[in-house]
Amino acid sequence: MSEKEFEPVIVGFFCNWCTSAAADLAGTSRLHYPANIRPIRVMCSSTVDPVYLIRALQEGADATILGGCHPGDCHYISGNYKARRRVVIVKTVLKSLGFDEDRVLLEWISGSEGPKFARVMNEYTEYIKKKGPSDFKYVDSLGGE
Amino acid sequence: MLIHWEVSDVYNDVLKDFLKKAFEKGLIEAVIAPAATDNSYTYALVTKKEDVDKLTPIAPVMQWNGADMIRRITRLKPAKRKTLAILRPCETRTYKELIKFNQINPENFYLLTYDCPGTIHARNYAYEQTPVDDLIKSMKEGKISEKVRESCRVCEYPTPIKGVGDIGFGIIGVDEPVFFSLSERGKDFLAKMEIQEGERDDSSWVEMHRKNREKWLEEKRITGGRKGIEKFLAQCMNCHNCKDMCPICFCKECFFEDHSVFDYESEKFYNWADDKNGIRLPTDKTLFHIGRLIHMGTSCIGCGLCQQACPVDIPLYRLFGIVGNDLQKVFDYKPGVNDDLPPVMEFREEEFEEFVGLKGGEE
Ligand code: SF4
Ligand code: SF4
Ligand code: FES
Repeated sequence: MSEKEFEPVIVGFFCNWCTSAAADLAGTSRLHYPANIRPIRVMCSSTVDPVYLIRALQEGADATILGGCHPGDCHYISGNYKARRRVVIVKTVLKSLGFDEDRVLLEWISGSEGPKFARVMNEYTEYIKKKGPSDFKYVDSLGGE
Repeated sequence: MLIHWEVSDVYNDVLKDFLKKAFEKGLIEAVIAPAATDNSYTYALVTKKEDVDKLTPIAPVMQWNGADMIRRITRLKPAKRKTLAILRPCETRTYKELIKFNQINPENFYLLTYDCPGTIHARNYAYEQTPVDDLIKSMKEGKISEKVRESCRVCEYPTPIKGVGDIGFGIIGVDEPVFFSLSERGKDFLAKMEIQEGERDDSSWVEMHRKNREKWLEEKRITGGRKGIEKFLAQCMNCHNCKDMCPICFCKECFFEDHSVFDYESEKFYNWADDKNGIRLPTDKTLFHIGRLIHMGTSCIGCGLCQQACPVDIPLYRLFGIVGNDLQKVFDYKPGVNDDLPPVMEFREEEFEEFVGLKGGEE
């Protein structure tokens, strides 16, 4: 028997006004997206302290997605621009230390982009599946290689 | 007898005379500068000319970041009295950075800064008191003293820069020290003091540090992801001293001190232990450092006080200085050297699209 296929856990922090709505739309349109995605509804992409992204990785997520409104469309005017800078910071720190920065993803998905939502979730899940389990969850543990 | 400028404490005497004269002329009503303790130096605030002699404006040790002291004084109300603070170049940059963060109110403050010979680790100094003149002598001979801290040896800006602070005090390459202005206010101040502005060439001192820095950035990087950082932080006891001493970590409420952020029901810990084949406790040790990098790395000014504060001698500036350098490069930002806003305080509508999406913004 072959080994059970690796099923990554991907935590999604999705803005209430766009990406969360897109997730709902994908659902009602019967567009398939993988159960690997664990969505968390947030009021704006800017409400997610960047440390929560890496904290999700340490708690066992194989990847995280921050989903916000397209530039110009943030419900709170500029939250997504701030979120973008924070993601730049997180990715740079991860890369600088030799961690895999691709395990943090920022995407702009509006409420009407159900198909984009499904596509991004499918593609990212495939991508992480290929990469394999994240090593970050073993930070400060006795496990890992 | 011929008095040489190398003779003990002469630079501090020049600065003390300067301070007394400024008091006499009514240009200042207070001074913030280091003062000796038994075997170290702390900052002091004096309000009388007679107290100036208790100061050691150029000290061999930097126990605190002086800008942090000014923050404490001005955080509720601006200073009412005209105050001259004598700070090292790194502290002067911190001062500028903290003004941008609205943590310091610069009203009524004048800053004097000088060609810095570096500082000795406070703990080393407690065991072996090296006079500041030894450090200055070494600087004048064009050698960075072996005794100064790692962050001082790789300092990017070890001398006064125009626009950062008000008055510069030049020591390098001149027999007699010179004063020069760094700002319009400084120019006015020196004119009122009837001091002729002088010149000196600090380029070789700066170059020497930058060469060290380049090498250091290349060689001391912490690599290897989890294993690298865990090895680096192996002895860390999670005391948070590094954060407490960091002048950029000024938040009243810290993400990592609010333990409710890390409160979980007990089952969570057991589940993690199942899942990760054992967990180390506390669980937020490494996360604390990565979190600090994420929160303040873009504005690390390189004072190295995190490293000095560490009770188990982790060379922390290698973490904060090198990752900070990477961050600052991405944002094309140099903390405390000009009027640009810190990266966490502003944004542009069109930027960093290459960080969006898996393929970097491409659809
Ligand atoms: S991280 Fe360290 S070197 Fe950087 S500003 Fe804070 S104390 Fe100074
Ligand atoms: S000062 Fe040293 S021991 Fe304390 S938290 Fe910082 S790195 Fe760890
Ligand atoms: S409201 Fe959607 S990103 Fe701000």
